[in-house]
Amino acid sequence: MSLWLTIVLVPSVSLGQQPAANLESLEEQAFKEASAVVAPSVVRIQTVGGLDRVGRVLTGTAATTGVVVSADGYVISSAFNFASRPASVLVTLADGRRFPAKIIANDWSRMLTLLKIEAEGLSVPRVAPRDGFRVGQWAIAMGRTYESPLPNLSVGIISALDRIWGRALQTDAKISPANYGGPLVDIRGQVIGVLVPLSQRQAGRTAGVEWYDSGIGFAIPMADILGTLPRLKTGTDLLPGLMGITLRAGNVYASAAIIDRVRFNSPAEKAGLQPGDVIANVDGQPIRRLVQVRNVLGNKYAGDTISVVVRRGEESVEQKIQLIGKLEPYTPTFLGILPARRKQGEAATGVVVRGILPESPAAMAMIRPGDTVVQLDDTPVTDSAGLFDAISRRRVGADVTVHVDRNGARQKISAKLAVLPTQVPAVLESQIIAAPDPKPADLPTIGRFNKDLAGHDNNFWGFVPETYNPAHGYGLVVWIHPGSDTMEADIYDLWKPICEQRGLILVGPRAKELAGWNLNEAGFIEALVKEMQQKYNIDDQRIVLHGYSNGCRFAYHLAFKYRTLFRGVAASSEPLKVTPPENRPDLRLQFFLSCGDKDNLYRRVQQTRGRLAAMKFPVTLSTEPGLGHEYPTLPVLDEIGRWIDLLDRI
Amino acid sequence: MIHRILTIVSLLLLSLTWCPSIAHGQSIQPTIQRVQQRTVKVFGAGGIRRLHAYSTGFVVSRQGHVATVWSHVLDTEELTVVLADGRKVRAKVLGAEPQLDLAVLELQDKELDLPAWDLEADVSDAGPGTRVLGFSNMFRVATGDEMVSVLHGVVAAKAPLATRRGAFESSYEGTAFIVDAVTNNPGAGGGVLVTRAGRLLGMIGKELRNSESNTWVNYAVPISELKQPIQQIIAGKYRARQRDPDETNAVARFRPLQFGIVLVPDVLFRTPAFIDGVQPGSAAARAGLQPDDLILFINGDLVQSCRVFKQSLGRIDAGTVLKLTVRRGDKLLPVELPVPETPDTPETPKKPEKPEKPATAGDTK
Repeated sequence: MSLWLTIVLVPSVSLGQQPAANLESLEEQAFKEASAVVAPSVVRIQTVGGLDRVGRVLTGTAATTGVVVSADGYVISSAFNFASRPASVLVTLADGRRFPAKIIANDWSRMLTLLKIEAEGLSVPRVAPRDGFRVGQWAIAMGRTYESPLPNLSVGIISALDRIWGRALQTDAKISPANYGGPLVDIRGQVIGVLVPLSQRQAGRTAGVEWYDSGIGFAIPMADILGTLPRLKTGTDLLPGLMGITLRAGNVYASAAIIDRVRFNSPAEKAGLQPGDVIANVDGQPIRRLVQVRNVLGNKYAGDTISVVVRRGEESVEQKIQLIGKLEPYTPTFLGILPARRKQGEAATGVVVRGILPESPAAMAMIRPGDTVVQLDDTPVTDSAGLFDAISRRRVGADVTVHVDRNGARQKISAKLAVLPTQVPAVLESQIIAAPDPKPADLPTIGRFNKDLAGHDNNFWGFVPETYNPAHGYGLVVWIHPGSDTMEADIYDLWKPICEQRGLILVGPRAKELAGWNLNEAGFIEALVKEMQQKYNIDDQRIVLHGYSNGCRFAYHLAFKYRTLFRGVAASSEPLKVTPPENRPDLRLQFFLSCGDKDNLYRRVQQTRGRLAAMKFPVTLSTEPGLGHEYPTLPVLDEIGRWIDLLDRI
Repeated sequence: MIHRILTIVSLLLLSLTWCPSIAHGQSIQPTIQRVQQRTVKVFGAGGIRRLHAYSTGFVVSRQGHVATVWSHVLDTEELTVVLADGRKVRAKVLGAEPQLDLAVLELQDKELDLPAWDLEADVSDAGPGTRVLGFSNMFRVATGDEMVSVLHGVVAAKAPLATRRGAFESSYEGTAFIVDAVTNNPGAGGGVLVTRAGRLLGMIGKELRNSESNTWVNYAVPISELKQPIQQIIAGKYRARQRDPDETNAVARFRPLQFGIVLVPDVLFRTPAFIDGVQPGSAAARAGLQPDDLILFINGDLVQSCRVFKQSLGRIDAGTVLKLTVRRGDKLLPVELPVPETPDTPETPKKPEKPEKPATAGDTK
């Protein structure tokens, strides 16, 4: 320290006499000398073959840059430079020697790629110590992209430290494909970091490229890279570490880090973290605000083990959690029983089995219709919601003991849970609900009707079976009409018999503009469903959205927006164009897709099925041979009816 | 050297914390004044379809000759030049060299006696890291008699603009100063790049997109490339260079099969140039090429796809030696194949004489 001070102070004596222009030329000389010190370690990278476009970004074919990180041939570069997945990579050293390079591994958190060439005795640059970084210090960005013996330079300063959740520092030197992968060098010729495009809002290899040459550039500190180098050298890709929690929304800079949800089957769940826990400390760093959690976790990789201290009420719980790279989607579990639907006023003393689905775990375990499920393992069961909750929180393949009352005797039955099946049986006996006798005086509107909803500009139509019996729970079908056609007459004719057979109530909200739905009309649909729940006996497990053609877009929007309200979407002749939310055990959402095989959208509807299935959502696709872009025919509507009748299967 | 750097670091720390603005301002003030007096704003054709109707120029003779960028702006009878002091003068195009993106204007007022650049004494050269200033009428920010805008940065590189044909949509293909400041904006063409000491380096070029990296590039054409044409145009002795024949219309002279090379089917936009097969007894077979070799370089130029390989092969000269570098496994192997005396198609027109390449910059001080 004292030596440093001396060095600083001695020339300052002469500064008074130095003309300013001399200082400038000394600075300029320093830029050139600093870059000359690092230049032997800066290599040119060329790629051959590969994609011409990644997402919406055209990939370049221009030369890019890398930095030697070990004398035996390891070179680090920006993952952006390999976004096109080239067939071959070539590295040209500063002395002109050319080598084919192998991609060893990628760091998908810091967006770096490690290359290896068969060369020895390479020049490794000196590394600037991480604790010496100061905002305002000179920073020279270097690349080797032009056909010139000297590297290209851009001079700026360090603009900020700890950007992009602590992963990068920021510079105002011009950072672009001309120097991605190149070093950011301090004025002493030490490497501060490696230049990469990054974005706070997006992830991916080309995220942040739109900021090129803007005065906002990022570099990953070289000191951090050296820390992960041994892991990269083993050839395994590094992924950002995940523990599987979401934090309660709030001001990230002010609110405490309260766990909102713990993802099923995630490291956090296995460690016993619970919603409502307040994160107090991660890896020895006290956490007071939401943003601090992201900053600490931003530097962690899959495989890293962190220690987390949470406050739960009065107590403080510490857990070691090993982070993972990819959270597995939740797979819905299945026992195979159809619970009897309880009538109003019936006591809840267990779940009466109305039916057993063939080839299900329940069928194989010889559970029978008429049995009453009263306990699952150690959990007492009083109603079907409780049984559903207990089953859905277990994993596929789990062994469970089902306690049933059969003919007055308690029996313990073992079963192994399966994946919720998606095929709809060709025949499913319906429970025809008889009209109330005597007819109550205060019966709400039955039959076909038109109504306004208080407080909303929209109105709606609906159909309630004439035999409506308030003692029974009814399914609710919310018909989302396509743009410019409400299809009321057809829908009424086609759905009336299905509603009567399956115990369903149909409502058809009308868009304010006939041309189509506006997303801000979602609140009206929510209010309408709540209104129906208030007026009628609606079974919460069987509230579905049904759409056709472009009406489905709004139906999907509603299903994803109101996860607690809707249990299913029956979408006809329309693919899904938005990204669905993750599948959750507590909010089961099932899909029924139908489409004609002559419909131009058929292939994309098939892709929708694939997408939803990959996220482990229960999804059924019914194909109508010979049908174009048209509303489904009666057999498919019957199938939708059976599908709705199965929504509450456990 | 380390010691020297340390000294500079300490100087920097002091200058940054104490009085950076004064230190900067003093040293470049005379330069800015001097350059602005020699820079003019050019107004001409444009203003429709997002074409700007303005550009920049620099005075190269006391009698009123202005060098500027060759562009659509000059395509009018109504050409106006606004001098540094705000005077408006009519001008006409005296001559142009489209291959250098250069035009020289003659001001219509003969009595001006303007401060002008001396293209011999005022010119310098610079390498990466040299601090530079750019002067231009960018975005027409300077209205009325206002002076042109000044930007600062460093020379990022001094390198050829075009590494291979098609990389840039530019007529200029020689060595250029590439700058780390965003100097090349609408209307900036024809401005000047100077050192902080006020030595002239180059003329700021048109806006240019690098089609290899899909980014905008900021550059200036070295004065050493422009000096001779400017002087000759003023002297009335200049003859424009002959244009290169249009490459896209050129007949492909050779095909891979003539060498016995069968490439893999070209199915992607960038199918790597893998050899699918080698015909027995062919030049390729004699050179030892094998199936699955990946062709990486042809006569020193990178081959990024089958398409590029075929295009490059179409341009080689008869009777020369074809130098290829292939990747086999983890090795790079150089091979040489004789190019036949007769091209593929007998009726191929004789190749026109290539125009002389402009002399490379670097010696002029």
